[in-house]
Amino acid sequence: MLFYSTTIDGFQMGLCFAILALGVYISYSILDFPDLSVDGTFPLGGVLCTIFMLRLGLPAVPAILLAFFGGLLAGAVTGILHVKFRISNLLAGIIVMTALLSVTLAATKLLTRNGQTTTIFSYRSENLVGLFNGDLAKSIPTGARDYFILGILLVIVILVKIIIDLFLKTKLGYMLRATGSNEKLVVSLGKNAGNYKILGLALANGFVAVAGAIYANLFTQYDNTSGTGKVVLALASVIIGISVFSHIPFFKDTTAVICGALVYSLCLNYLVLVDTNGIYLKLLNAVLFAIILIFNEKTSSLLSRAKLRKGGKGK
Amino acid sequence: MIELQKVHKVFNAATVNEVELFRDFDLHIPRGQFVSVVGSNGSGKTTLLNLISGTISADAGKILLDGADITALPEYKRARRIGRVFQDPSVGTVPDMTITENLSLAENKGKPYFLRLAVSGSAKNRYRELVASLGLGLESRMDVPVGLLSGGQRQALSLIMSTLTPVDLLLLDEHTAALDPKTADLIMELTNRIIREKSITALMVTHNLRYAVEYGDRLLMMHEGKTVLDQADEAKKAISIQNLLSIFNEISIECGN
Ligand SMILES: Nc1ncnc2c1ncn2[C@@H]1O[C@H](COP(=O)(O)OP(=O)(O)OP(=O)(O)O)[C@@H](O)[C@H]1O
Ligand SMILES: [Mg+2]
Repeated sequence: MLFYSTTIDGFQMGLCFAILALGVYISYSILDFPDLSVDGTFPLGGVLCTIFMLRLGLPAVPAILLAFFGGLLAGAVTGILHVKFRISNLLAGIIVMTALLSVTLAATKLLTRNGQTTTIFSYRSENLVGLFNGDLAKSIPTGARDYFILGILLVIVILVKIIIDLFLKTKLGYMLRATGSNEKLVVSLGKNAGNYKILGLALANGFVAVAGAIYANLFTQYDNTSGTGKVVLALASVIIGISVFSHIPFFKDTTAVICGALVYSLCLNYLVLVDTNGIYLKLLNAVLFAIILIFNEKTSSLLSRAKLRKGGKGK
Repeated sequence: MIELQKVHKVFNAATVNEVELFRDFDLHIPRGQFVSVVGSNGSGKTTLLNLISGTISADAGKILLDGADITALPEYKRARRIGRVFQDPSVGTVPDMTITENLSLAENKGKPYFLRLAVSGSAKNRYRELVASLGLGLESRMDVPVGLLSGGQRQALSLIMSTLTPVDLLLLDEHTAALDPKTADLIMELTNRIIREKSITALMVTHNLRYAVEYGDRLLMMHEGKTVLDQADEAKKAISIQNLLSIFNEISIECGN
């Protein structure tokens, strides 16, 4: 039973983190930019969405969309720091991440009552139309609730995937891919490569914020520490996805990244079963990430060797 | 067409490594002229192209394109009117994108890049025909990432990409140097064809004296930031590879090496 609920949990979180990973796919894989601001924009999305829902009484969907714009803005700041002020990519991300720690904390204050921080969705939660606790959700028998949530998450993830796939096929999307792969060419096409970096980082963090917003909805509470470790989580998902799943025929990179997020999140959840006290969780987490990176080195060299052999025969 | 007036360029100014490369450098290339540039290593050929493209900026002097002062214009803005092919075949294409995708990027140069689908069905056919005209058999590999092509194939692609949209000026920096002799000949022939068909003004740096003699309307020889030989049209036609070699040697002896 514990195993079953852990698995369901793993899938729910995995789908939520898939959105995060799809965002980081844009910055890390497409733009070749290791973006650390993700640790800040994930909780930013959560707190923005919660504020819009609780303070302004917005339904979940518009609140999540607004959270997207919040992430967009934060990502643009990272990009501007890097492009216009020539701060290195890692440091630009760290600056924004650090600044957002205060921003989210201050925003959380907006959600406290009588100086007491309540878990946000619990108060007023009666008239709160969350993504997963609306009238429709209430009409579903408790036993099937988990599957209902999974279904909604799946729809959102597929939607995000399709949006990103389509975007990458547009002229603008092509320029973004070119920027990550050969900046000099973008310049020789008469375009300012810096602007595409800013745009890509903005979009990436927009999706990260959406993931944060959905995460808050999933757990019906906003947690200020929810950003910690999200960079590692997202990178691990992207790397597993690209190195393992993108070789499957007809699997686009985006599909592969979603699979990567699901696998990694399931692994993390099973780790909790092993380490019930949660003391060694981060350590196990790091070890898992290291194993993935080592494995990734192995597979990519194996695959390229296999490709070489195939190519050699073909000619 | 393109004009350099009294251009100065000093590298590492006010340090022990100071190199004064160009001093009062003048050059004027009229529209439609195809200029070959030769010269020893370090004579300033690449720097000359970099000054024109805006990759580096001049310390003093003016650079004019069609009479308009472009000295202060950033590189990406100049690129709208200038095409360029580099020595390294991987610079002129996006290795992670397919041939079709690369051509689509190039074709949209100068147009805004909006949220329109980049490659339509008709464009695909157009690109295929274009690539078939190269005669390299690449038309069957349109959906292969360019990074998997050979250097010569990539360089051919770079060349058609840099001239797919109308450019006023084409800069070629030893663009055949990384290729085997046969492919180099093929690319050189293709270069000449494109330049003549589209009557582009071109500046081609090469270490291949035969190309410098056979192709182009004008020949420049550079040495230590100066043009030591500048012949056009009939006078250029009279120059042989032997002539060029002996001038090269004379300069080297004068400089004591
Ligand atoms: N960024 C730079 N910093 C310092 N010195 C430079 C720089 N770029 C070029 N130089 C110097 O300027 C001189 C000319 O270099 P340039 O690259 O233009 O030569 P080149 O004619 O293209 O030579 P090659 O035939 O080897 O390509 C050389 O002495 C070089 O060391
Ligand atoms: Mg050079």
